[in-house]
Amino acid sequence: MNKNIKYGIGLVLLLFLAYNSVYFTDLDQMKSEDADTIDFNAKATQLYEGIIAENTATDLSTLKAALSTQSDSAFANFGNRLGIGESAYFMVNVAGKVLRINDGEILIQTDEGESIAVQTKFIFGNAIRDASGLVALTDYKTNADFNKLSEALNTIVREEKLPKAVQKIKVGDVIKVEGALKLTKGQPLNTQLEILPVLIEK
Amino acid sequence: MALLCAMMLAACRGDKEAEKPKIAVVISTLNNPWFVVLAEAAAKNASDLGYEAKIFDSQNNPSTESDNFENLISSGFDAILFNPTDADGSIVNILKAKTAGIPVFCMDREVNADDAATCQILSDNYSGCVDVGIEFVKALNEKGTYVEILGLVGDNNTWARSGGFHSVVDKFPGLKMVAQQTADFDRNKAMEVLETVMQANPDIDAVFCGNDAMALGAYQALLSAGKAEKVKVFGFDGAGEVIEKIKEGKIVATGLQHPLVMAETAAKFADEFIKGRTVFPQRVPVEVNLINASNAAQF
Repeated sequence: MNKNIKYGIGLVLLLFLAYNSVYFTDLDQMKSEDADTIDFNAKATQLYEGIIAENTATDLSTLKAALSTQSDSAFANFGNRLGIGESAYFMVNVAGKVLRINDGEILIQTDEGESIAVQTKFIFGNAIRDASGLVALTDYKTNADFNKLSEALNTIVREEKLPKAVQKIKVGDVIKVEGALKLTKGQPLNTQLEILPVLIEK
Repeated sequence: MALLCAMMLAACRGDKEAEKPKIAVVISTLNNPWFVVLAEAAAKNASDLGYEAKIFDSQNNPSTESDNFENLISSGFDAILFNPTDADGSIVNILKAKTAGIPVFCMDREVNADDAATCQILSDNYSGCVDVGIEFVKALNEKGTYVEILGLVGDNNTWARSGGFHSVVDKFPGLKMVAQQTADFDRNKAMEVLETVMQANPDIDAVFCGNDAMALGAYQALLSAGKAEKVKVFGFDGAGEVIEKIKEGKIVATGLQHPLVMAETAAKFADEFIKGRTVFPQRVPVEVNLINASNAAQF
C-alpha cells in the first residue's frame, strides 16, 4: 500500500479517536445545568409558607428579657447560627407605631418606647433562611445551592410579599412585623435594632 | 547474643514510642501572606496538640499538589489539613488520601464533593460579600459604573464572593459593571488588569475585588492614575494593610475572614478523628465580619 495512503488512514483514525475522546462545554452552561436540577423557586415558596404557618417567632420583648438575664441560653434557645461565629439570627415578632417611612426603611416605636428599623429594601443574604431554623446546611449538596435558596426566598419576600403590604402603610399606623433579627453576643440591646421582615400587617 | 537482641529490641521500641504522630498541612500557595498565616496557624495548632506538623506548598499548581499528596501518603502522615488549589481538580487527591485511610480536613476552600473530605471548614464568603455588596450600593448611592476583579476561576471562593456581591448589586439597575476580569488573587496582576481596563473605561466610580491583595493592587493603579480620591475600592479578607486604608478613608470596606479560627478548628477535628471521633459535619461555615469606616478602629 502506498505510504501516503497509510499515513492518511492513520491520520483519519487518530482524528476520529481524538474527536470522540474529548468534548467541550461552556462553563456557564454547565453551571446553570447543575443548578437547574433544583427548583429553588418552588423550594423557597415552600419555605416561606412554612415560616408563616409554623409561626416560630419569639416576641422581641421576651427575647430581650432572656438575653439580659441568660444571654448564652437565649442564643441557644431562640437563635440559629450555622457553623462558627459570634452572631445568630432570630425570628421575632414586634408591634409598633410607624414614625417614618423613608427609602425602604420603616421606623416604628414600640409600646415600651423603643425604635426599631424595619428594612424593606435590603432584603439579601441568609438572615431570613437561617432565622427560620427550618432548613439545614446538609439539605443541600453545596454551599452555592444553599445560598440560591436564600436568593429565591429573598426575592419572594422583597418583590412579591412586602410591596403589597408596604403600599397600605402610612405614618401613624400601628403595624405588626414578623422577621429576622441578627444579634451578636455582647451587643448592647439599647441600640436601634433592624428587622428583615417576612410579614407586615396593619 | 540474646542480650544483644534484647537491647536492639528495646531500642526499636523506644524509637517507636518517641515517634510522634504526624499531621500534614497542604496549602494552595505560600506566595500570598493570607495563606502563610493559615498554614502557620494550622501547623502550630497541630504541634500544640502533640503532633509533628509539616507544611507543603502546592504553589497554586494541581500537579504539585498531587505530588505532595503522593509524598505524604507514602510518608505515613496521620491526617491532612488541606487548602485545595482547585474545587474540582483537588477531589482526586482527597480521595487518594481517603483510600489510604488518611482523613482530610479542608480549610477555607471548598471542593465540589460532599463525600470526599472528612470535613470542610470554610469562610462564609457568600454572606460576607452580601454585606460588602450592600455597603457598595449605599456608598455609590445606587448609581455608577464599576469593575469587578475576580480571584482564581477554579476556586469556589471566587464565585461565592462574586455571587454574594452580585446577589445585591444586580438588583440596582443604576449600577453598571463595565468589566469583570480575573487577577488570580494577585496584587500585581490586579494593578495591571485595572490599568488596562481604565484605558477603555477611564470614568469608573468603583472597583470590587475578590480579595484584599487585589484591592491594594487596584488602589495602587488608581493612585498612579490620579483617581484614588474619586474611585471607591472594596476588598475582602480583612488584611491589616487594608484596614489601615479604611481608617484613612482610602478604601471603603472589606470582609474580615478568620483564618486562625479555621486553622484551629481543622487541627482540633484532626486530633479528635485520630482519637476516635467518627462523625463530623461535612461543611462548617465560619462567619465573616464587615469592616468599614464605622468600625475599623475596633480592629
